[in-house]
Amino acid sequence: MERMLNKLIRFPKTIIVVLLLITIAFFMVMKKNSRMETDLDEYMPQDHPAFVYSDEMKEVFDIKDGIIIAIENEAGIYQTETLQKIKDLTKALGKMDEIEKSDVTSLYTADNIIGTEEGLDVKAFYKRVPKIAEDLAELRKSVRSNDMVFGRLVSDDETVSVIIAEIEDDVFTQKFYNEILTLVKSYEGNEKLYVAGSPIVEGTMALLGPKDMKKMVPLVILVIILVLLFVLKSFKNTIFTLLVVLFSVIWAFGLMAFFKIPIYAVSTMIPVMLIAIGVADGIHLYSHLDLFLQKNPNATRKEAVSDMLKGMWKPVVMTSVTTSVGFFSLLTSEVFPIKYFGLFTAFGVTAAMLFSLLLIPAGILVFGFTKRKPGIEKKSLNKIPFAYKFANGVIKYKTVTLLLTIIIVAVSLFGITKVWINSSFLEKFEDDSDIVLTDKFINEHFGGTSTLNVILDADENGKIKSPEILKLIDEMQQKVDSELQIVGNTFSLADYLKRMNKVMHEDKEEFDLIPDSQELNAQYLLLYEMSGDPENLWKVVDYDYKTANVTIQLKSDNSKAINSAIAEVEKFRAEFQKLGVKINFAGSGYKALVFTDLILEGQIKSLVMSLFIIIILLSLMFKYFLAGLIGSVPIVITAVIGFGVMGLMNIPLSTTTALISSIAIGIGIDYAVHFIERYKIYASETSDKQKTMKETMHHSGRAIIFNATVVIAGFLVLLFSVFPPNRSLGALVSLNMFTSFLGTVTIMYLLLYKTNLFFGKK
Amino acid sequence: MLKSMINPDTSGKKFTIVLMAVLMMGAALSAQEITGLKIIENVYNRDTGEDQTADLTMSLINSRGDERVREIKQYLKDFGKMEKKIMFFVAPADVYNTSFMNWSYDEEGKDDDQWIYLPALKRVKRISSDSKSDYFMGSDFTYDDLGDRQPSADTHKILREEEIEGEMCYVVESIPKEEEYIYSKTITWIIQDKWIGKKKEFYDEDGDLLKTLTVKEFKKVKDFLIITLSEMHNVQSDHKTIMKLENVKIDSGIADNKFTERMMKRGM
Repeated sequence: MERMLNKLIRFPKTIIVVLLLITIAFFMVMKKNSRMETDLDEYMPQDHPAFVYSDEMKEVFDIKDGIIIAIENEAGIYQTETLQKIKDLTKALGKMDEIEKSDVTSLYTADNIIGTEEGLDVKAFYKRVPKIAEDLAELRKSVRSNDMVFGRLVSDDETVSVIIAEIEDDVFTQKFYNEILTLVKSYEGNEKLYVAGSPIVEGTMALLGPKDMKKMVPLVILVIILVLLFVLKSFKNTIFTLLVVLFSVIWAFGLMAFFKIPIYAVSTMIPVMLIAIGVADGIHLYSHLDLFLQKNPNATRKEAVSDMLKGMWKPVVMTSVTTSVGFFSLLTSEVFPIKYFGLFTAFGVTAAMLFSLLLIPAGILVFGFTKRKPGIEKKSLNKIPFAYKFANGVIKYKTVTLLLTIIIVAVSLFGITKVWINSSFLEKFEDDSDIVLTDKFINEHFGGTSTLNVILDADENGKIKSPEILKLIDEMQQKVDSELQIVGNTFSLADYLKRMNKVMHEDKEEFDLIPDSQELNAQYLLLYEMSGDPENLWKVVDYDYKTANVTIQLKSDNSKAINSAIAEVEKFRAEFQKLGVKINFAGSGYKALVFTDLILEGQIKSLVMSLFIIIILLSLMFKYFLAGLIGSVPIVITAVIGFGVMGLMNIPLSTTTALISSIAIGIGIDYAVHFIERYKIYASETSDKQKTMKETMHHSGRAIIFNATVVIAGFLVLLFSVFPPNRSLGALVSLNMFTSFLGTVTIMYLLLYKTNLFFGKK
Repeated sequence: MLKSMINPDTSGKKFTIVLMAVLMMGAALSAQEITGLKIIENVYNRDTGEDQTADLTMSLINSRGDERVREIKQYLKDFGKMEKKIMFFVAPADVYNTSFMNWSYDEEGKDDDQWIYLPALKRVKRISSDSKSDYFMGSDFTYDDLGDRQPSADTHKILREEEIEGEMCYVVESIPKEEEYIYSKTITWIIQDKWIGKKKEFYDEDGDLLKTLTVKEFKKVKDFLIITLSEMHNVQSDHKTIMKLENVKIDSGIADNKFTERMMKRGM
């Protein structure tokens, strides 16, 4: 390997040109083929049973997420002008290309079924907008007496009414959102209008995250450049270190584009990983070079490069291989975007290795190295005692070090028990953002902006019409509604039947219940089909009356809310089972929940798996099993503290935050390998443990702290991001870098020292 | 007009109209100048007998191919200025003997009277609906599609003549005179020598094709042409309704008092 590298390095200019050309080619492919994927359904494994089922139910019941437009008139909505706006806006929305006319629901489209002395009256609440006070009062009265509308389309205080426009999952675009906002704004006047709903939240999030990243990444790179300049003290070295990162990112995305794989939201984590990992090799190489030049001020470029490669090729290859393996282990995930993330990050890491071993030496050979002024050398020489002091300190206060480590790990383990998963999209936004405020406003006035679909599947056709099942459904709805604050509303076939029963009994309250006869239920339903809008019925029950859909409206899309509703429903599982009815769940909120679980499960699985592989690899590389164990210490510490801090600080696990633990592997392993390799070299060179410790700390420890400083500084920039998930990302990456560094130079170092590794034979 | 396609009927009043129309038509035809309005009037006035008894099978098929079948026994009779109809559900079993009665009036602007009887509730209830665009019993037919739509309610225009399945048809476009009607226009294919619709397209408010009605079979019962199999396909929701008439009896002399609340309660 070393020989091959030395051979290749004889043609530095060719290397630079060839690598540059390939990079340009990848860049062109990337420009041409890259595509953002914003449809969240595309992220989910299509063949997972939960998703297959949910999608099937979505088809059966036409479950779609709705955009909610709220019209508020503080003087009350029963004003001619306001009702006119509801009518006009309902029509205008139905005319939009993205919205099916029949998917728009409002007071204007709703059916009003009223029981009268002699019979049944089915009509619209209004067709022509009522103009005189008498008609307005009449309308108000009929809304108030209709539970299926009052509280659902008109708020209890009668100042807000909503229009719901259901859309398919794949139609949301920024343009569409802007069009809706413009349309809605044009109706403002005495009324205030609001736009909310999960399509808006999800759509905006899918667009805002990457958009914010695009703005922040240049800043991150700028800070990294500045810090690199500071630690490397060389313009040339900084440029080449950065080129390694930049090229590896372009190659990774270029290859992705080449295979026509779209960019998913998690793909934005690829550059994050490559920046954090890619700068390491450069820093270690240049750090080695500097130390060599300090000792041999008159060495030629060739000699310096040759020594650098000789001393460093092994750790560079070792770190890259182990890191790649760590990312490859993500291929076990069931989630495709995560698989791609693992695969292409691994590819990027391997590419970065190639650039570190070819581009950096070639750069030195062609452009020369930065001559160090004696003064600066002095300065850095002055630092030596600190590394030595630190090395001694760790050994001297080994009990303190050990104790502190144990305490921190124990606290972190406690924190881990508090880690919770959150699939909420809404909570990714600022508390005072328009989206959150609107959502809050609508939740205050209505049942809720998020939904959970409970699917009841009977073992026979027609069985859902049976009074026992319908009564149990009704009981379950009442229970869920009364037990949980977070549940604003529930809706099912039972509501239709109660309404029909009441209406057929002259609207008497005491008949607001499920009839005892299956025949009567069947006849009511037939009557509803004949007189109302049967399309509405097919949203709560299937064609064969075998499967029913109970909608639970929640005032929050956070996982705790969804889980609490699921737990409440689960209490009815046994009773439904007795009646031959199975309970399942569906809907986008539920899918997001399962999806987050899947990601997390995959992440933990791959974390454990890669830990084992890495222990084995390290054992093979250093030819000691003990080395493998010690080398895994920084990874474990980083992962444990990372998750622990999330638990303690109440940062929920989500798709992005879970992925950050990958950094624990990528960085932890880098530090461990570089450190142990140096330690091993000095051990065989000096056979003196004290000296080995000091030299290792001076050489590797220095590079590691440089590396950590650069990346931490870079990612702290993300704390200024306007998108909260990107802020947590910045904080957690920085934290992981810091703990990796600290774990390596303290506890791992102590373990190396204590176990007498590489000194054992003496 | 569609009513006469689907649920043929007849009336004394119509008979005189038919006579007059035939007389006038003779003059018009000799001048080789039939108009869209006349074609539609001919269909509207086609004689289909005084009363009718039939077994109606209504199959509802949704976009996923699920099918529900309803079997209905129906009686209808023309009373001159009004038409009365009574329907009893035979299947599914849990709605057996549920009955539905409809009186429709020739008088313009007068809404139908409708009653429903639910045997499990043992009560007859009147249903009043303000919209003729409501869908009939969960089918793809609206009451209006089934009902007598006065030829004068639309402006008619002959588009062309063309042959469908060996029958020469007039293709007539009808545009409603009232604004905000559920259809922006309909196009009907009418068999030239029979004055029976073969096919009809319904366009929604935005001018997009909404539904297609295809008449698949008609039979001669006594001397009247009766449509016995037709399919309404909502192309936007991909929902279909197939109406099949069997055991059709015409002019069997249904008693006038068949169409009362008492008979609804009594069942079949």
